[in-house]
Amino acid sequence: MTLTDTPPRRRRTVEPFAVASLVVVSGFALFCLLPIWMVIASSFTDESRLVRSGYSFFPTKFSLASYRSIFTESAIRDAYVSSLFITVVGTAVALTATTGMAWVISRRVPRISAFFGTLTYLPMLFVGGLVPFYILVTQYLHLENTYWAVILPMAVSPFLVFIEAAFFRQIPEEILESARMDGAGELRTFVRIVLPLSKPILAVVGLFYATAFWNEWFIPLLFITDEHKFPLQLLLQNLIGNVNAAQALQTGSAAAPVYQLRMALTVVTVGPILLAYPFAQRYFVRGLTLGATKG
Amino acid sequence: MLRVTDRVPDTPSEAPPASPRKTSRGAVRGRRRVHGRAALLLLALPATAFFAVFSYAPLAGLAVAFKNFSISDGVFGSPWNGLDNFRFFFDSGDAKRILWNTLSLNVLFIAATTVCALGLAVMINEIRFRYLRKFLQSSVFLPYFISPVVVSIMLQGLLAGVGGQGGAVNKMLNIFALPSVSWYSEPGAWPWILTVVKVWQMSGYLSVIYLAAITAIPVEVYEAAAIDGASRWRMALRITVPLLAPTTVTLLMLSVGRIFYGDFGTIYAIIGDNGTLFSTTDVIDTYVFRSLRQNGDFGMTAAIGLFQSVVGLVFVLVTTFVARRFGRDTRVF
Repeated sequence: MTLTDTPPRRRRTVEPFAVASLVVVSGFALFCLLPIWMVIASSFTDESRLVRSGYSFFPTKFSLASYRSIFTESAIRDAYVSSLFITVVGTAVALTATTGMAWVISRRVPRISAFFGTLTYLPMLFVGGLVPFYILVTQYLHLENTYWAVILPMAVSPFLVFIEAAFFRQIPEEILESARMDGAGELRTFVRIVLPLSKPILAVVGLFYATAFWNEWFIPLLFITDEHKFPLQLLLQNLIGNVNAAQALQTGSAAAPVYQLRMALTVVTVGPILLAYPFAQRYFVRGLTLGATKG
Repeated sequence: MLRVTDRVPDTPSEAPPASPRKTSRGAVRGRRRVHGRAALLLLALPATAFFAVFSYAPLAGLAVAFKNFSISDGVFGSPWNGLDNFRFFFDSGDAKRILWNTLSLNVLFIAATTVCALGLAVMINEIRFRYLRKFLQSSVFLPYFISPVVVSIMLQGLLAGVGGQGGAVNKMLNIFALPSVSWYSEPGAWPWILTVVKVWQMSGYLSVIYLAAITAIPVEVYEAAAIDGASRWRMALRITVPLLAPTTVTLLMLSVGRIFYGDFGTIYAIIGDNGTLFSTTDVIDTYVFRSLRQNGDFGMTAAIGLFQSVVGLVFVLVTTFVARRFGRDTRVF
């Protein structure tokens, strides 16, 4: 990653382009962070102040009212539980299925690997579209209003299968061979040798799945109508609609902090991602880098 | 899928042709291989089941595109109606608009994100302070992980503000003595707004890939340029950007291959059912969703989906071919 000391002789001089880069990139980073900051700041601002002067980047009149109502509101607790279930169980299912398939593809066993490779590749090329999918889930699998309606359709991403397979291929054959010499079977080698060696890629793929499950709102929108089973994203989406409708009564009574609540719920929804991001970020970078340089 | 699994029991017959006890090693290896094959099939089973149900079975459902579908008759019981569904869509007058929107919006998105990501990667690479660079890179990558619904809320906050009184964008306009705009009833502005959203979401993500490619450029090239007295700007322009061409082409081809698919998640989360904005923002995917949900028109919706998949496939195949020819040494995914 370091090109830092590329031209050793010209260190001292201040490069105009380096300065310009710093300024532009900082500006862009600000552009990326400001909307997020606006939401956080507004979620701590008193509703009356929001109604009077709009969302701001500085919480002028500090208030925790919205967070208080969030933690007492049972709908929000339900949504959190739904989102957590979908994310945790979904990631576990997805990681299992993806890892197994990736290993089989990466093993280069004659016929078998090619067959499963093709099986995984074709869905990237051609999809049935919304209608067959909708009919399948509602008429044949009858998954409406269950969390499985969200988990199962997202369980395997071909792209992540191939990312993982690319990693598996880098495991030296000698390690596997020596395990086999010691009498370990295929399954045992996989569980005892390959998986422990693959923790970094499992983290990458798991994190990609976890964010996808956490952020998903389209599939719940299609199949979940029972309000007790709404995941957070859907609850939030509903709130947008309601406030849009409620724009007519924009005088806003101080009793119900609609706007502040909306921002607080947004913070609660992105919260886990923002909290995990500093730690997870390097895994994402590593995963993408792997995808970019290996085939 | 089932046929493959069914084969497991009879694999032993083809695996050990030699007599079992002759050389213990050979026999062991033979038995292992059989065992191993079953294990592999077991490992592939969950994902195979997934693809069978969610990727391959729905293809049979595409028959709906040629049927006058009703839920009570089911996929196979509904009567055929030939190409009526397609004809209905292309005669509706919506077809031209949504196809144009899908293509033009995607062209805007691809062009803008590519330029920004490339520029961002080159410039991040210029930043010398290690921790600052890490921090900035993380900051620009963060929006990629924000869900469409949250993006929509932020955008409403910035554009409409509290109760539609106007957000930060209008305040900025006012500072420059420009009049406020009620954005959510201005269809003309939305291709550009959505492009800005896309740039916000995707530039950091793509720049990570470009940065990885930059690190693969040999240091000697820059050293030679430095000896020749080239400035960093010239190096970026004459070395980095040209050497990123294969990666750029590959990434471009990947997005061009998907040009026929609208970004449903983002666009629908932001626009929703705001009909005023449909003229510039309605894409195939949002149109399909609405005609399914609001009109329950399965046949026509499936027809549009099939049309999209077929044209999409052509795009994917063509661009994959082009990408193979150009980016032979940097294969992305």
